[in-house]
Amino acid sequence: MNRMHAAYPPLGDFLSAEDESRVFGRMRYRIARTLLRQTFSQARFRASLVLMLTILLWSGMFWMFADGFRFLQAAIPHPETHARTVGAVLGAFFAALLLMLVFSSGIILYGSLFRSPEITLLLTMPARTERVFLHKFHEAIFFSSWGFMLLGSPILLAYGIVAEAPWYYYAMLPPFLAAFIYIPVAVGAILCLWVVRRIPDNRLAALMFGGLLLLCGAAWMCWSLLTGPESDLLTPGWFLEILGRLQFSEQRLLPSWWLSSGLLDAAARAWSESILFLALMISNALFFRQLAIWTAGRIYREAYSGLWGRESRRKRARPGTFDRSLSWAVRGLPPAMRLLLIKDLRLFRRDPLQWSQFLIFFGLLALYFLNIRRFTYDIYYIGWVNMVSFLNLSVVGLLMSTFTTRFIFPMISLEGRRFWILGLLPVGRETILWSKFLFAAGGSIIPCSALILLSDAMLNVSPMVLASHQLTCLVLCLGLAAIAVGLGARLPNLREQSPARIAAGFGGTLNLVVSTLYIFVIVLLTALPMHFYLAASYTGVVRGVSEQAAMMWWLRLWLMAGTAASLLLGTLATILPLRMGLRALRKLEF
Amino acid sequence: MIEFHHVTRNYARKVAVDGLSLTVPPGELFALLGPNGAGKTTTIKMLVGLLRPTSGSVVACGCDLVGDVRRATRCMGYVPEEPFLYDKLSGREFLEFAAEMRGLDRAAVDDRVRRQCRDFELDDFVDDLTETYSHGMKQRLVLASALLHDPAVLVLDEPMIGLDPRSVRMVKDLLRAQAAAGVAVFMSTHTLAVAEEIANRIGIMDRGRLHFLGTVAELQQELASPHAALEPLFLQLTGDTTA
Repeated sequence: MNRMHAAYPPLGDFLSAEDESRVFGRMRYRIARTLLRQTFSQARFRASLVLMLTILLWSGMFWMFADGFRFLQAAIPHPETHARTVGAVLGAFFAALLLMLVFSSGIILYGSLFRSPEITLLLTMPARTERVFLHKFHEAIFFSSWGFMLLGSPILLAYGIVAEAPWYYYAMLPPFLAAFIYIPVAVGAILCLWVVRRIPDNRLAALMFGGLLLLCGAAWMCWSLLTGPESDLLTPGWFLEILGRLQFSEQRLLPSWWLSSGLLDAAARAWSESILFLALMISNALFFRQLAIWTAGRIYREAYSGLWGRESRRKRARPGTFDRSLSWAVRGLPPAMRLLLIKDLRLFRRDPLQWSQFLIFFGLLALYFLNIRRFTYDIYYIGWVNMVSFLNLSVVGLLMSTFTTRFIFPMISLEGRRFWILGLLPVGRETILWSKFLFAAGGSIIPCSALILLSDAMLNVSPMVLASHQLTCLVLCLGLAAIAVGLGARLPNLREQSPARIAAGFGGTLNLVVSTLYIFVIVLLTALPMHFYLAASYTGVVRGVSEQAAMMWWLRLWLMAGTAASLLLGTLATILPLRMGLRALRKLEF
Repeated sequence: MIEFHHVTRNYARKVAVDGLSLTVPPGELFALLGPNGAGKTTTIKMLVGLLRPTSGSVVACGCDLVGDVRRATRCMGYVPEEPFLYDKLSGREFLEFAAEMRGLDRAAVDDRVRRQCRDFELDDFVDDLTETYSHGMKQRLVLASALLHDPAVLVLDEPMIGLDPRSVRMVKDLLRAQAAAGVAVFMSTHTLAVAEEIANRIGIMDRGRLHFLGTVAELQQELASPHAALEPLFLQLTGDTTA
């Protein structure tokens, strides 16, 4: 430190673009290497579970798509109609993914280009603005592409195998998919930069508007595909009508059409046309990438400065009608528990990240349940209706388990740094735990029961099945809430402030696994006897009256035993985790 | 050299920095003081190129922070109030990244990293992941990284927060040494005792305006105050303006 500066230091050459890219690449490589090493040494359970579930999901989709393509082959023997149908299916599938990728990459890039603390470091270094953008752009490509690959690869591989495609179909898959991903991510990046640059104050409104458009589009698409003359289902006329409705996906300017057409040509051994589509796709990917880089170079710093130059709005916290209603609804509870409940509800209400996810997923499920009536006219076999109704129950349970893992499990951990507040209050630890349980159970029972009721009403199930579903739903919600609260108290991560990271840790993963197992066992205990009981009731007398009566008696017994077992398991799953969590919470030091 | 020429920065209708004109020559340790919301952090963010002035210009080492931000940031070291470190990099890897970004060649990178490890006493933990560091360790690493390339301008936003007494002493000695070596040091702080002890000049901002610029003795003279310490003078000045 004993040097003297001249008026200005000598400034040599800047890093070349290639060297800059290498420096960023080395940094990314080092981070990825450490992450992988840590994952395999410290989080083997989570990594294996994620890998296993991914393989399971991928295989399930592959099997489903392969079966679907075989069905199409059998149902539409005419080669031209068959090719058109497959083209329309693939085109619609990739057009939907295209739209979702534009939107999701825009959101990812908004977070990483404008809100991430890393950007403060990078923008104050002598790096090219374009390089900083590219660094984040590549991150967005990575985050977007794994989901896309998970969804896109099984459908295309399944098609290749069913259509007996030549080797070059498979060789062309990676470049086609890679080039395809670049286009929506680049478009999303450009939109994100322009929205922040032009309307920094209304970016949330723009985002909501975009999201709403996307949801309306999805709803319209589902609605238009699922409504129509019912007698034509799966007949040639029905296929033609569906093809007509999917015509929007055959717009020649859509990259999804280039992708599906190029790959279908490759599968049909028309390799020269396929290469033309690939060249078109790659050149467009490069063009949009370059356009995004050019846009970032022009407006990124200005947009960043504009966004952080907004006047911060004062956020006044007033007790809402919702709080007052809840306060009235729980007035019978002890005051400490009531206050804790209202506090948790306020935190939930004022965090749009929590309730918006809740709303979107439950809204989509409700949309699906509303459309399910369409199938009931055609799938008249009562067993199917019963099976679908129990599958719906499982889906609601599974969705609930992801929410309890993501939002309820981290609740005790999040009290960590402020635990001294609760710790010093004249409130028993059991009150804290019970208030979390009541919050979780109350918050899940109402929407889940309503959804199940909707599904049952649409499927027109019998009152007995309806009652059974509501009971199962109650048992599921109580058990899932208790498992999340109990495990959250038993395996807290008091150092972490991010609920997402807490949920992604060992405790969160264990919570998800235990919850999933619990759902499957509970649903199987009630669904299987109900299925056989209903099947026997509707098929009527097979051998003789006495044999039939005996069989019904045994099935009724099985049904009652299954219900009793599910009630017993639900009681255990509610009490044991809560007791375990309470013991752990009592020992917790702050 | 740092120059602010009639710099104004608006946050919608609110004026965060109002007509700031200020020059910090090489070899000066300048401390910018002011209550919360005075505009200190906005001033620093404009100085390091994160925010752009609504009007006026900010110049560091002769380079405009809007038109030539890359060249300006190259001659600058910056220690933010809440520094960012890559959790999954070791301290050494972070220093190497910062050095390479400044265009140092491989041999120079190794040499500078070794020097900073010695000067900032990082050797004990420099090969650990930064996610395991305490606040003081992180602050020392960030300071080491900001000075890797011997910058002509050093900008620090609240550098003393959360440091133990030994680290505070180290930072104070370091800032004095840097100024003595010809670096223009620009620091914002709430710790009046530190500013009083080490700064050559102080600036006091309140509600976006620079209300005083000079030495503590000049402030005492201007306020005609019987107090010689900075704290009562600061309170008198900011109390008057907010009244």
